[in-house]
Amino acid sequence: MSGSFTTSAARNIFYGGTIFFFLMFLGLTYNTEQVLPKRDNRAALANPAVAAGKKLWEVNNCIGCHTLLGEGAYFAPELGNVYKRRGGEFIKAWIKAQPTGAPGRRQMPQFNLTDKQLDELVAFFKYVGEIDTAKWPPNIEG
Amino acid sequence: MQFKSQAVSKPYFIAAIGLFVAQILFGLIMGLQYVMGDFLFPHIPFNVARMVHTNALIVWLLMGFMGAAYYLVPEESETELFSPKLAIALFWIFLVAAALTVVGYLLVPYATLAKMTGNDIIPTMGREFLEQPLITKVGIVIVALAFLFNITMTVLKGRKTAINTVLLVGLWGLAIFFLFSFYNPDNVVRDKFYWWWVVHLWVEGVWELILGAILAFVLIKTTGVDREVIEKWLYVIISLALITGIIGTGHHYYWIGTPEYWQWWGSIFSALEPIPFFAMVIYAFNIVNRRRREHPNKAATLWALGTAVMAFLGAGVWGFLHTLAPVNFYTHGTQITAAHGHMAFYGAYAMIVLTMISYAMPKLRGMGEAASERAQLTEMWSFWLMTVSMVFITLFLTGAGVLQVWLQRYSEAPQAFMAVQEQIKIFYWMRETAGLVFFTGLVLYVISHFVGGPTGAKAKARA
Amino acid sequence: MTAVAVVDRTPAARLPSPPGDLAIWIFILAELLVFGLLFVAYAFARAGDVALFNHHQQGLDQAAGLINTLLLVTGSYFVARAVAAVRGGSGRVCALWLAAGFGTGVLFVAVKFGEYADKFAAGVSLSTNTFYMFYLGLTFFHLMHVLMGMVILAVVAQKAWRGGYSRVEHAGVETGAAYWHMVDLVWLILFPLLYVMR
Repeated sequence: MSGSFTTSAARNIFYGGTIFFFLMFLGLTYNTEQVLPKRDNRAALANPAVAAGKKLWEVNNCIGCHTLLGEGAYFAPELGNVYKRRGGEFIKAWIKAQPTGAPGRRQMPQFNLTDKQLDELVAFFKYVGEIDTAKWPPNIEG
Repeated sequence: MQFKSQAVSKPYFIAAIGLFVAQILFGLIMGLQYVMGDFLFPHIPFNVARMVHTNALIVWLLMGFMGAAYYLVPEESETELFSPKLAIALFWIFLVAAALTVVGYLLVPYATLAKMTGNDIIPTMGREFLEQPLITKVGIVIVALAFLFNITMTVLKGRKTAINTVLLVGLWGLAIFFLFSFYNPDNVVRDKFYWWWVVHLWVEGVWELILGAILAFVLIKTTGVDREVIEKWLYVIISLALITGIIGTGHHYYWIGTPEYWQWWGSIFSALEPIPFFAMVIYAFNIVNRRRREHPNKAATLWALGTAVMAFLGAGVWGFLHTLAPVNFYTHGTQITAAHGHMAFYGAYAMIVLTMISYAMPKLRGMGEAASERAQLTEMWSFWLMTVSMVFITLFLTGAGVLQVWLQRYSEAPQAFMAVQEQIKIFYWMRETAGLVFFTGLVLYVISHFVGGPTGAKAKARA
Repeated sequence: MTAVAVVDRTPAARLPSPPGDLAIWIFILAELLVFGLLFVAYAFARAGDVALFNHHQQGLDQAAGLINTLLLVTGSYFVARAVAAVRGGSGRVCALWLAAGFGTGVLFVAVKFGEYADKFAAGVSLSTNTFYMFYLGLTFFHLMHVLMGMVILAVVAQKAWRGGYSRVEHAGVETGAAYWHMVDLVWLILFPLLYVMR
């Protein structure tokens, strides 16, 4: 019987299609999880400073101004490659010196981090910088 | 208003509008901080203004979705809401939790808030859009589950229409995917991978079902076109949305450490994500053209058509512009992203909530099918002011983004981030101006609810 | 315009439309679009590294691909016979033809698994190189469509067996058949593209 277009057919396609693609997505997720160990630099996580650094990144809401691997806010520079761009010592000095107070310049708060915490944050940035991001960002400026 | 319990929608809609105003106020603050970097520093640093802006957005949209559900589900199911008292209780719980959270953001340094609210138990704070303390997140889950219980029980005891079903699937999906916000591994790549299961599978997934269901409901009510026609095309649209959007999640997996095959799969499927939005435009205009009645609520029809168009432009077209991996390599995490994000969120989700409010409010306020002619005129002015200024905001941010990409990403001699930001300031000034126009539109929108008297009786009396 | 759900049975008044439910045709178009884009992407990727693609293409089991092609085409023939049967009013015969089609699907899957087992044993995966990404990705995506097709045939066959379709009302059979034919058509392009063309 040609020429029909029923709600039930459309509904079945919706459910069938959704389940189909969700299963496929789960399959690709499974494969991704298998492949990740070769790309995600998880060996660095053996150093507890790295996870501690990630916690600091989160509880100080750094992503509220910065991007990390391109994700976050666009007010301040990309920090996924900041370790490579600036080095650990610069990063620590910079954080310690905020805010700059330069008139009109975008300001970063002072987070009152201890030396140990600064080292942890640097360890976190080093870890992120060594993840295989398919050659992103295009250059050192992020 | 066919069922007494639909009245519970009203507080949700009022709160939604209030939070929308708060959202834009903080947006204006941020826009100014882009060009006057130390504005309100250190009292309201940029990141604090931002989390208030984005969280207010999400909460007002959720309030709007809940209000929409409480309004349309009883009418679709042809039975009273399971528990109006529960709906009101949940409203206050949600509102108070949201208010306390915002107060927390503003009054206390974020790290202190984290400590105070038990972030060490399960660390869920500090990720974009998911800045809420653990207790707030748990509160959201409880409110969402109770809300879903209320709505689902209503549908179960009444008529199960396609609109009801699609809305329920969307809302349940929303709640289930939110659970991923509790999963925050130390592994940054896996953190990001699953973060997108909340964000993408929300806004490019189950939220599209909610959008479609609300749009279909308003179209049935305002045009009188056959339910059969509207419902089967709704299924087609949402099928297209999920068929493209689920694997389309891969367009967030290009550069975060995940395997490179996502560049292919994500590009191809996400390139097709505009299709359901395009279909929605054809759908909305076609159905309005074929209408069988002249509904007095012209404003609601305008919002409905506007939603389809702006969603297509913002989510579909602007999304497409930066979705292909070779393009995204240069534009990832720039003002291009912000341009798309603003028009997409406004066009799809802000506007569908405003569409529903436009349709339902006159009935909830006992004004009849529509507000007075003067009120509608004011509301339609506000529609144009907000919508056109949003287009300009998007255009200006796109300009900023193109220049940013050129100077910072594409160039042989790339410049540093801050140096580039200086050079694109003109675009930010223009954006802020457009933002002020947007805010004017929003103020006018609020005013439109007070024009012509609460029942429109004054206008009628004068006429 | 009247609601499209109403079916006009007068041949003269009927607008030309494809067999089965229109909804499946929208879905088929969408699927063909996706596969089409995937094929274009493949061509694009191949142009970027012809040597790599040619080299690894030689490692593919052409015989298996050929068998699979014959299986799917035969399956389509069986499904076409099923539609003819139900148009003639024989629900049970229709169900048997559909079951035969389902059977070709089972064999297709078995052959495919054999190919995959061979490749996985050799350490090939989606991330090995771009050629294998497309080979595994495309054939797996297609395989999932074959599985979906089998599910549809099974559901329709069951209904046909129980007398759920008649000479006049059998849109479901045509709908399912249309989907199966699409899956076959896609393979007819996929096989030469991946396995043969240099």
